Amino acid sequence: MDDPYLLTLHALTLRQPATAEQINGITGLPAAEIETALDKAVGQKEALAARGAYLITPAGRQRLDGAYPVVYAALRADPRATAAMDRFEAGVNKQVLTLITEWQTVEVDGRRMPNDHSDPDYDAAIIDRLGTAHERAADVLAPITAADGVADRFIERLGAALVRAEGGEIEYVSGARVDSFHTVWFQMHEHLLRMFGRERPE
Amino acid sequence: MSTTVPLSPSGASFRWLYVPGAEPGEPSRELIGGKAWSLWRMRSLGLRVPPAFVVTTRACAAYFTGGRVLPDGLDRELAWGIRLLEGELGRVFGNGDRPLLISVRSGAAISMPGMMDTLLNLGINDEVEGRLAAETGDPVFAAEVHRRFCASYGRLVLGCTAELDELGSVQEVRAAVREETGEEIPADPWEQLHAAVAAVFSSSRSRRAMAYRRHYGIPDDLGTAVTVQAMVFGNLDDHSGTGVLFSRDPLTGEHRPYGEYLPRGQGEEVVSGRVTPEPLEYLAEREPAVYAELLDAAERLDAAGRDAQDIEFTVQSGVLYLLQSRAAKRTPRAAVRIAVALVDEGRITPEEAVRRVNADQVRALLHPQIRPEDAERAEVLATGIPACPGLATGVVVTTPEEAQRTPGAILVRRATSPDDVHGMIAAAAVVTEQGGATSHAAVVSRALNTPCVVGCGDGTIAALAGRTVTVDATAGRVYAGEVAASVPGEDTDPDLIRLTEWAARLAPVRVIAPTDPGEPPEFDADQAALEELGEGLPPIPPGTRTVRGALFSSDEGVRAALDAGVTVIAAAHRLPVLLTAIAHAGGRS
Repeated sequence: MDDPYLLTLHALTLRQPATAEQINGITGLPAAEIETALDKAVGQKEALAARGAYLITPAGRQRLDGAYPVVYAALRADPRATAAMDRFEAGVNKQVLTLITEWQTVEVDGRRMPNDHSDPDYDAAIIDRLGTAHERAADVLAPITAADGVADRFIERLGAALVRAEGGEIEYVSGARVDSFHTVWFQMHEHLLRMFGRERPE
Repeated sequence: MSTTVPLSPSGASFRWLYVPGAEPGEPSRELIGGKAWSLWRMRSLGLRVPPAFVVTTRACAAYFTGGRVLPDGLDRELAWGIRLLEGELGRVFGNGDRPLLISVRSGAAISMPGMMDTLLNLGINDEVEGRLAAETGDPVFAAEVHRRFCASYGRLVLGCTAELDELGSVQEVRAAVREETGEEIPADPWEQLHAAVAAVFSSSRSRRAMAYRRHYGIPDDLGTAVTVQAMVFGNLDDHSGTGVLFSRDPLTGEHRPYGEYLPRGQGEEVVSGRVTPEPLEYLAEREPAVYAELLDAAERLDAAGRDAQDIEFTVQSGVLYLLQSRAAKRTPRAAVRIAVALVDEGRITPEEAVRRVNADQVRALLHPQIRPEDAERAEVLATGIPACPGLATGVVVTTPEEAQRTPGAILVRRATSPDDVHGMIAAAAVVTEQGGATSHAAVVSRALNTPCVVGCGDGTIAALAGRTVTVDATAGRVYAGEVAASVPGEDTDPDLIRLTEWAARLAPVRVIAPTDPGEPPEFDADQAALEELGEGLPPIPPGTRTVRGALFSSDEGVRAALDAGVTVIAAAHRLPVLLTAIAHAGGRS
């Protein structure tokens, strides 16, 4: 998706409300291009501004739904890319969701309950396995990240979340208010689903 | 250069190895790593662990200075180390009717990400598999051990990324490894061992380990030790088995042994599903001496660790081996009971006790609950999977934007995705039609600590939209209308009362009830919250002494108040606020 306008709108489906800075984090677009795109989107009623952050409108979604099949036609027709997406969804994506659930809840005598993070070894083992999953995702998605810079940025951002989690900032594993591994992973998954025109499996 | 000392089977002085228990005094963690240090500690408490030796970090340093080659003489010392394990267990590595299998694991003084996982069952090949099958009388088990070893070796030592663990046989794993790497899994156990030790050393300089150290300024040359430990088998005969023992009940916190035993079971590493766990009484009746030894070990570990322990053990032909002991996972109820009991037993101080319990655990105990008789009378509109416990009553909305506009709303969606998160933050509870315990809605709700029920089925949105409902996310039910709930009090539970007393003495703030007068100037977040869009906290005006409002009962709110120099916080529940304040003050100083 090379058009800065569409890419800015698309970013608002991955995170909203989003500030221009947060859109830059997702897309890597220069700040000036994002500002221009947001002004245009608000003018065309395809986005709403609310206290410095932006929300996409139904009209904005409609424009994107029309654009995806055109913009991503080549990718959707590439058997290596669709095979990579299949492998991602059936394999490492499921592993990561299970790992995040194991991070948030522990089993005590057969009952699942919130992880109180009192066992650093348990936590470290999960973060370690997320690290393996991150490497696996980078391998599996290589045919897609080679063609799509935004997908490639997600792999980098996952690495950044991982390093912070590894250093003891444990909210960077699944915290919903920061760019945690889980937050970024779900954004990445949503991005991939939209690129390929697929539905979320769960 | 250090001098080479004569090797002896007693392990008195090796150049590259350390043998726990063979030398007097406490070993250095820098030399042998944290995991081996724990083994030494268990041994020093007089407990029996499977025999082990350590290839030290000195050997790791030499491996890298020598250009990633195992240092001179290490192969001879590894052979001696293995002889020690063989001698202690009466087994032979790679040979004999009673084969010795070993585990190989990394261990640094500072734990680091990206290091090699444990490699289990090293020493197996086709011939050893046959002997293990004959000894255990269980060819399926022996084949499974071999298959798992090959999959781990392919992944950890040869660096395969294919999903080897999911392949059904040794042949399939070998073929997949050959295809991806062009290499063979060696049949020679000594070759397996040398390659595994080198792989552990190399993993200390893996890309991830290096990235981590660069970020945190840890020296790049910090290496790892390698622990080599004998595998013990819980499935050898009728006097063998494996189990887990908690030194205190993890559900209630009561100080009594609790656990389960799998007769002829080989633990979680080889989960066959062919054995049914028995309560610990089974072991007490059949192996009273082993049982007594186990309980004694649990008490010693509980005392030495000054906390409830979760102990993994294996009984091999009537001999007890302790595999691992660590602080036990526990319910919030047990966490509170154990912390207070440890103070009464003189094991920890009240200062430590208030740091053993966190605010979330106390909040979980203080969650409002629907009385069973009220639940029976209420009309159930939907049922699903409880994803994050809690209780909320509110009006049902079906879009995140409505949730933001409607304070205290219940957000009901088919499923959620990242562009619903702002609505989930604003909602009092989240309900979905689709999804399970790992769905987006479940995971994000737990991160937000928002009550959540998932997977209620098609038609839930239509059935609930616009109605006032009560979501009991602990039971996974949605009721019509408002269902009365009872709130357990923090001033009626004797353990909570004592923790509150201790915490009030130690906390850097005073916590008052919402109706109590505070110290001026005051700031009330509930007055300011409506203009706020949902994420983040409203700014606290400089000079504020007292804060009020539900936001300041959250962990983020308490931390923000302390950082702003606030001295009084008004909150419905005192203890969670006090505990967060203590943890935050401790983290800053």
